[in-house]
Amino acid sequence: MAGALLLCQTAFAHGPVFDCYIESDDLVKCEAGYTDGSSAAGRKIHVQDTSNKVLLEGSVGTDNTYAFQPPAEKYSVVFMGGDNHEATIQSSDISR
Amino acid sequence: MPIQRRLLQALAAVTLGCLTGAAQAHFQMLYVEETALPRSGKLEFALVFTHPFSGGPTMAMDEPRAFSHISSHGGEKIDLRQYLRRVQWQSRDNQTTAYRASIPRELVRSLGDHIFVLEPEPYLETEEGVYIQQFTKLIVNVGGVPGNWAEPQGLPVEIQPLNKPYANWTGGVFRALVLADGKPVPFAEIEIEYVNHSVDIEKNSFGQQDYVTAPQASFKALSTYADSSGIVTIGLPRAGWWGIAALDIGTTKIHKGKPLSQDAVLWVQARDMK
Repeated sequence: MAGALLLCQTAFAHGPVFDCYIESDDLVKCEAGYTDGSSAAGRKIHVQDTSNKVLLEGSVGTDNTYAFQPPAEKYSVVFMGGDNHEATIQSSDISR
Repeated sequence: MPIQRRLLQALAAVTLGCLTGAAQAHFQMLYVEETALPRSGKLEFALVFTHPFSGGPTMAMDEPRAFSHISSHGGEKIDLRQYLRRVQWQSRDNQTTAYRASIPRELVRSLGDHIFVLEPEPYLETEEGVYIQQFTKLIVNVGGVPGNWAEPQGLPVEIQPLNKPYANWTGGVFRALVLADGKPVPFAEIEIEYVNHSVDIEKNSFGQQDYVTAPQASFKALSTYADSSGIVTIGLPRAGWWGIAALDIGTTKIHKGKPLSQDAVLWVQARDMK
């Protein structure tokens, strides 16, 4: 469950943090940030299928969130947080 | 005013407090198992008014006046009283009324700091004829994103952390500012207690085994004073839960015709380096 978060909390003094949850039946909401409190606004988010094909692409908003309608099949959400600051969450780890 | 004189006045006030029966070593616990969460989840709270080093006796709580969550986004304040339920808490010496609260993940799933504030109903210490009301704060963090942990919450009395209360190594030092009506309280009388036993939140009980043995009674509730700026500094010599209480610092001194001690409590969690 916390695997994605643990992966992105390796030895960076300024590490990315990323989590997603089901906001409503047809909406997944993700939050992105950094351990030093800096904003993730404007950073890219990819929603990918199991072969890493990008299904959706968007940007983190000024409130550090990104929301999307989830694909029907298994997917992953990737936060492109900058140099070596990438974090991924699998759809199986996303719940209410 | 010379510092020695102010300290003497503070000590005199404390002595007077003792003479008039200000009760000590009581701590309002606001307990969750973990305050530094890798990822959010449902939070189980226990609200127990007790003597945490000894695991009791525990005092019966009335329904809290307020139990609030200040969110990590925008500081929105949410009333949590609807989640409170009365339980019978088994402490070392007795069983009495405490409260539990199951806070759904939806309220605490945002990254960052989540501040929980408890304002209990004043408790009458009948043997000493004084009321005690401990405004208590606990701060939970999700994901390691820092937030509003250091911000005062506008309480009548409160301890404003100067270190993250959820991110402390064993052996470290913790600092905080004692406030009454938002202003620092120089030389505030401080008590520190370690939760010296396990807490079985599902069984509403404290464990029967002490973690450490106090060599003498004064080691159970440690005492110190804030400095001339109202800053208190404590060490964290063991992993687990440490409660800091600033005693009788409120401006409201009477409740229902009896003396009232308005105290501020902050809970700090320490982790071993391993």
